[in-house]
Amino acid sequence: MPPADPTRLSIAETGEQIRRRSLSATELTRAYLERIARRDGELRAYITVCEAAALAAAAAADREIAGGKYRGPLHGIPIALKDLVMTRGVRTTCGARILKDWVPETDATVAARLAEAGAILLGKLNMHEFAYGPTGVNALYGTPRNPWDGTRMPGGSSSGSAVAVAAGLAAGALGTDTGGSIRIPAAFCGIVGLKPTYGRVSRAGVIPLAWSLDHVGPMTRTVTDAALMLQVLAGRDAADPSTVALPVPDYQAALRGDLCGLRLGIPRDFFFAHLEPEIREAVQETAGRLQSQGAAVEEVRLPRISLAGAASFAIMRAEATAYHESYLRSRPGDYGADVRGRLMAGQFLPATQYLKGQRARQVLRAEVDATLTRVHALLAPAAPLPAPPLDLREVTVEGVTQDVRLWITRYTAPINVTGHPVLAVPCGLTTGGLPIGLQIIGRHFDEATILRIGRAVEAQDPLGGRRPPLA
Amino acid sequence: MAPISSDLLRALSQEWSRIPTGPEDLALAAAQLAAQQEPLARLDELDLLGVEPATVLLPPQEVPDAPR
Repeated sequence: MPPADPTRLSIAETGEQIRRRSLSATELTRAYLERIARRDGELRAYITVCEAAALAAAAAADREIAGGKYRGPLHGIPIALKDLVMTRGVRTTCGARILKDWVPETDATVAARLAEAGAILLGKLNMHEFAYGPTGVNALYGTPRNPWDGTRMPGGSSSGSAVAVAAGLAAGALGTDTGGSIRIPAAFCGIVGLKPTYGRVSRAGVIPLAWSLDHVGPMTRTVTDAALMLQVLAGRDAADPSTVALPVPDYQAALRGDLCGLRLGIPRDFFFAHLEPEIREAVQETAGRLQSQGAAVEEVRLPRISLAGAASFAIMRAEATAYHESYLRSRPGDYGADVRGRLMAGQFLPATQYLKGQRARQVLRAEVDATLTRVHALLAPAAPLPAPPLDLREVTVEGVTQDVRLWITRYTAPINVTGHPVLAVPCGLTTGGLPIGLQIIGRHFDEATILRIGRAVEAQDPLGGRRPPLA
Repeated sequence: MAPISSDLLRALSQEWSRIPTGPEDLALAAAQLAAQQEPLARLDELDLLGVEPATVLLPPQEVPDAPR
């Protein structure tokens, strides 16, 4: 018997039902489309819904499966893509006025890989304009509502991806992460977000924000689902020379291991220096439970990682402005004021500052690498505060006042600079009922280990079975 | 540190980058640059003399040799 509402189930659960043919791809897709029709007017997760194409693809999937051609755990699973992932024949707006009518002629590699695995494209997801902001606010397409509290930021830039997954409007989604844009909305909306190692997942056909900081990754309701999506996404792509030809491990097999023998580091000097006490406590308590689950936990030091924010600023501003220069000349009025202001700043940075940032990242990456020879992964908060109110401009955390956007990206941007893989998982709720996110930072290309640790955190039931009130 | 003047930014934008700007854009840009002047200067604390830039961050070809 199919469940009353299959949109509440994970990819792994519905995938198994589709494989056994107790649930059809058409039934599942129809359930998601009905839910989108009912809820997305308020939640605004989608920019484009591909209803007819999704139902046609689901029917084709059902025919294939009935004919004995089962492609794997994503076959017949309805997913959605952040609207900077190019999709052939489906408009790709990047959350921007400039691209509001642009219809690509080709698929991004990641879109093609998901389609080849049999996933059903429900539509394209809302986002911060051109992915250039961590709040998720979008005046043109409407700001997606955080399903835990509609007066709070959903986080960005992959705001629609997080809201759609958290609210049951997609089984899984793709996001991108240049300074935290997968992990921040995942943390604010209480879902799982994986920023893979730089070079693990192709960026070909994904509209860039900053080429050397951009990462593409899955956003899901469970760690197992993130592993299932990564399995399809990972691997060398000739169209993206930054991808590497390393073997892709069996991530599902990796999830089955326990934590015995794993050493976890707590980098207290930077990542725990300025954050709300509730978040510090949640991360520390999670670490304590991981210890009781078999891991060894120790304090480590990353004395220079505090400099990564400046390196991120120089690199991101310069690369983003370089990409947008021709649009800035021809259509400056078509940008939102906040994004245009950031793009303007990029033109005034001397080239020497950009190169200083690119040299600094070598030193910072080496520092994290050296620490990760002693421990298998690092534990850190995803953000120093839970989802802030939508209209907040400045925040004071433990006596330090600064722009809310700088606070939001404080603990995520450094790991884009170093390129290490990071899994963001929920690790608790505030007393006000907002999700708290944990980052698990791993060795280059060792996504398997951080997924295993993430699965152990998930087993602690950090949200206590609670669902977002607006879901 | 001395503030970056809007006149200088306007001249650079219009004459060098050929990007049209309004006063609000320049004020936003100047504020961001001013906020980052000190953090950017702190990058000099790193010993970068012998370090080449990762102009495109090339990923390592293998997982670091580390205990499992």
